[in-house]
Amino acid sequence: MMSIKAFTLVSAIERELLMGDKERVNIECVECCGRDLYVGTNDCFVYHFLLEERPVPAGPATFTATKQLHRHLGLKKPVNELRAASALNRLLVLCDNSISLVNMLNLEPVPSGARIKGAATFALNENPVSGDPFCVEVCIISVKRRTIQMFLVYEDRVQIVKEVSTPEQPLAVAVDGHFLCLALTTQYIIHNYSTGVSQDIFPYCSEERPSIVKRIVRQEFLLAGPGGLGMFATVAGISQRAPVHWSENVIGAAVSFPYVIALDDEFITVHSMLDQQQKQTLPFKEGHILQDFEGRVIVATSKGVYILVPLPLEKQIQDLLASRRVEEALVLAKGARRNIPKEKFQVMYRRILQQAGFIQFAQLQFLEAKELFRSGQLDVRELISLYPFLLPTSSSFTRSHPPLHEYADLNQLTQGDQEKMAKCKRFLMSYLNEVRSTEVANGYKEDIDTALLKLYAEADHDSLLDLLVTENFCLLTDSAAWLEKHKKYFALGLLYHYNNQDAAAVQLWVNIVNGDVQDSTRSDLYEYIVDFLTYCLDEELVWAYADWVLQKSEEVGVQVFTKRPLDEQQKNSFNPDNIISCLKKYPKALVKYLEYLVIDKKLQKEEYHTHLAVLYLEEVLQQRASASSKGTEATETQAKLRRLLQKSDLYRVHFLLERLQGAGLPMESAILHGKLGEHEKALHILVHELQDFAAAEDYCLWCSEGRDPPHRQHLFHTLLAIYLRAGPTTHELAVAAVDLLNRHATEFDAAQVLQMLPDTWSVQLLCPFLMGAMRDSIHARRTMQVALGLARSENLIYTYDKMKLKGSSIRLSDKKLCQICQNPFCEPVFVRYPNGGLVHTHCAASRHTNPSSSSPGTRT
Amino acid sequence: MRKPDSKIVLLGDMNVGKTSLLQRYMERRFPDTVSTVGGAFYLKQWRSYNISIWDTAGREQFHGLGSMYCRGAAAIILTYDVNHRQSLVELEDRFLGLTDTASKDCLFAIVGNKVDLTEEGALAGQEKEECSSNMDAGDCVSPRAPKQVQLEDAVALYKKILKYKMLDEQDVPAAEQMCFETSAKTGYNVDLLFETLFDLVVPMILQQRAERPSHTVDISSHKSPKRTRSGCCA
Ligand SMILES: Nc1nc2c(ncn2[C@@H]2O[C@H](COP(=O)(O)OP(=O)(O)OP(=O)(O)O)[C@@H](O)[C@H]2O)c(=O)[nH]1
Ligand SMILES: [Mg+2]
Repeated sequence: MMSIKAFTLVSAIERELLMGDKERVNIECVECCGRDLYVGTNDCFVYHFLLEERPVPAGPATFTATKQLHRHLGLKKPVNELRAASALNRLLVLCDNSISLVNMLNLEPVPSGARIKGAATFALNENPVSGDPFCVEVCIISVKRRTIQMFLVYEDRVQIVKEVSTPEQPLAVAVDGHFLCLALTTQYIIHNYSTGVSQDIFPYCSEERPSIVKRIVRQEFLLAGPGGLGMFATVAGISQRAPVHWSENVIGAAVSFPYVIALDDEFITVHSMLDQQQKQTLPFKEGHILQDFEGRVIVATSKGVYILVPLPLEKQIQDLLASRRVEEALVLAKGARRNIPKEKFQVMYRRILQQAGFIQFAQLQFLEAKELFRSGQLDVRELISLYPFLLPTSSSFTRSHPPLHEYADLNQLTQGDQEKMAKCKRFLMSYLNEVRSTEVANGYKEDIDTALLKLYAEADHDSLLDLLVTENFCLLTDSAAWLEKHKKYFALGLLYHYNNQDAAAVQLWVNIVNGDVQDSTRSDLYEYIVDFLTYCLDEELVWAYADWVLQKSEEVGVQVFTKRPLDEQQKNSFNPDNIISCLKKYPKALVKYLEYLVIDKKLQKEEYHTHLAVLYLEEVLQQRASASSKGTEATETQAKLRRLLQKSDLYRVHFLLERLQGAGLPMESAILHGKLGEHEKALHILVHELQDFAAAEDYCLWCSEGRDPPHRQHLFHTLLAIYLRAGPTTHELAVAAVDLLNRHATEFDAAQVLQMLPDTWSVQLLCPFLMGAMRDSIHARRTMQVALGLARSENLIYTYDKMKLKGSSIRLSDKKLCQICQNPFCEPVFVRYPNGGLVHTHCAASRHTNPSSSSPGTRT
Repeated sequence: MRKPDSKIVLLGDMNVGKTSLLQRYMERRFPDTVSTVGGAFYLKQWRSYNISIWDTAGREQFHGLGSMYCRGAAAIILTYDVNHRQSLVELEDRFLGLTDTASKDCLFAIVGNKVDLTEEGALAGQEKEECSSNMDAGDCVSPRAPKQVQLEDAVALYKKILKYKMLDEQDVPAAEQMCFETSAKTGYNVDLLFETLFDLVVPMILQQRAERPSHTVDISSHKSPKRTRSGCCA
């Protein structure tokens, strides 16, 4: 078992001071009260000393005792016991079975001669019940067999208050309140002398070993138990602490929190009440007295008196920590809570937790360490400072003094073991990450975040980027240098950005994309930059890099303009004109941008529409020129062009028509003619030039989109006319005409169509058209009839209501009251509500102007 | 030191494995133990309650301390070794008498430990523990023996205890619920044992609190006199 130095034994009274060279004189008993130390001897003397404590800087205090007085009690008997009652200024002296009272200062017996006779031994009640400060409660074991007596002792008189007879002969007694704890011949018992109730504690053979009964705290006793146990028992007869294990022949016990001290013929042993472990053993021969007096522990042989000086708790704890006994140190510290003022305790305890944390940390017990750091509210920088270079150079931190641990840095702690080092770093990473957002970080967030950044960068950890894109306190210069050193240029850019140095950030990233510096963090860095510029508020910066992004990729680069958040569009340099002039050199980008303006943003500006149409057209023409075979199918651009021409009404039609001249784009020309309202011409091109009947039909549809039905009808009739005009010889057109009619039966005015058709056409041929037209007209007729019927019935309902209201007569008499003002009607004029209520005309009028009055309709 | 709300005591002959059971439960391990001197206790936080669990010494020398440890106990775990019939006999002869000081509604559990040493126990725990391969444990050297004490014997003892305490079987947990066979070595049934008891003890704590007059005055639950009056009229 590992020991701890809890006490030092120092001499208090040298034997010369007591007995000089008188060999046969022995110390019988000792009492200590404050600085007054009394000794009783076997030759019936009482000595009074003054005890002087002199602290020694490093080490236990020393004591000197100066003799004040000694007095012979006038008998030839030994002085058995001494007890001071300082409130009464009396010393209780047991000698020859009689307790006498003497003055504490001059050792003179009280003049009254008051004494307690017939006492074998006695005990003071340290938890008195009488409530009188000028009296002490004394319990004696009487020389009368099996008898205990309680006395009240005053300055110069004594008074018996109770006599208790016990089942066996009592041998030792301790008192607390109304409870007597008694060692009897074969057992210990607790006796309540107020109620008379006794309770067995446990059996004990006093013939084999001396009984010990010692009050340790309020309502709790320490007893010698079987097998050398020190047993704890409360006044309720139960044990709340586990026993301590003494040697078999203990003769005395004392308590000095948190230790119990026991004396046998060779040793003084010290056990902790907190964990029951034996903590210290001091060789001490021939000791026969061990007692504690208000925290001061005194041992004596028959020749000398010694004091067990406790080492300051802090010193003990530090010793434990020094030998890495964290658990014990914490138990001891916690146990000291009630002996130390709260403020002081907290400071001390926190420090101990921190120290313990570092011990665990050094053993790589990170979980435990973390918990200790947390509960000890460690200044994280203490931990960071262990890691070389992690604290920013600007940090004002200095380690606490005295130091919390013995390590200069991590290298020393791990002795260069790289694996351990890595583990420690991983721990710090997770620890800092955990605490950075808690109050632990308050006041030094910069130090924490900078350290974390350094760790992440060094370890190539993904969280580096997360750290930099969220709120952080990384110090710029320190972090920048570190990131550069570890070639984390992308991250460095993020750092610049976080510190409002976007220009530096973008320049750095551009350098990465250009290959001037190496950092493969992002493979899509170009897109990232575009995105960054898109949302960048610094206009100059965007313009500065516009050319660079467009040169890289026109389609992607143009996003810095097209994806830019909307609301700022108006009041800055990103107006369409600026952008368009910038994009002059980048036709693809320009098309994209104009598409954005015209299609996405639906800007109704002729310029852009025309410009876009022209660009499309140019591209189509270019494609035509380059394509070897004049493919008929429309390219994608052509489709776009057509769509634009159809949908938009803003471009300059004539201008475009001009450009189309001779370009061989009949479809487009048709659309433009259509825009000019030249439907005849447009349809003519489609039918005759292109011979695309589907397109012609389609033309009728899109051209009339959003217009009134007559307009549409007009278009269809025009088309039909074109088909028919060619005469029956052109078979294809006839078929087209039939198809048109059959497919769009409802678009035509059937009567007009029938006039136009050649007589030779069979009904069969036009069957779908005719049926459709018929159905349409019948449907229209029926719908009208239904509407008519409904209108009629509605009219009928109103007529009925009117009849009903006029139907019955109303009697107006003096007894009828107006439902609003409750007055009778004086004139034959009234207003009647549909529910039958009658009111004055003026009341009805005012009711409409004054909505708060109740509605007569709700009255019953 | 926080005052415990309730107390559970382990009793039984020396060497049956009381300390081992407690270590297994509290520290999740099976270390070498030395014969307990005097006694020891653990504090277990169960829900919001502190339950103290006392480990007593089985040695004859410390027998006299038993009554004190049992004083006011809410539950007592009587432990025997399934491979030693005598250890069950001792429970009745020597230990039952110590429980007279326990609380009047004290619960009893009867626990047969070291089932891992028996044939059936070995089968039950085989997948988990390969005992035969390491020869360090002294108890392992003997080939598996048939169990000396059957669960029915424990049940019989349980019923005897009820008679001794003059308790009605209806009022206490059933024998089947309170007789366990465990192994501190493999952990078999150990959690079940302790946690069954904790769950039974908690309502006792609550009842105790309800019976004891409260020292604090609860002004919020002040009853209006009106209510009492209407109560008496009805
Ligand atoms: N195989 C096996 N051995 C066990 C088991 N439980 C305890 N033991 C062993 O039995 C011996 C005694 O165990 P302890 O827990 O010290 O017994 P105890 O009941 O506390 O004994 P005392 O403290 O003297 O009363 C030790 O060698 C343990 O390793 C078990 O479940 N299986
Ligand atoms: Mg044990």
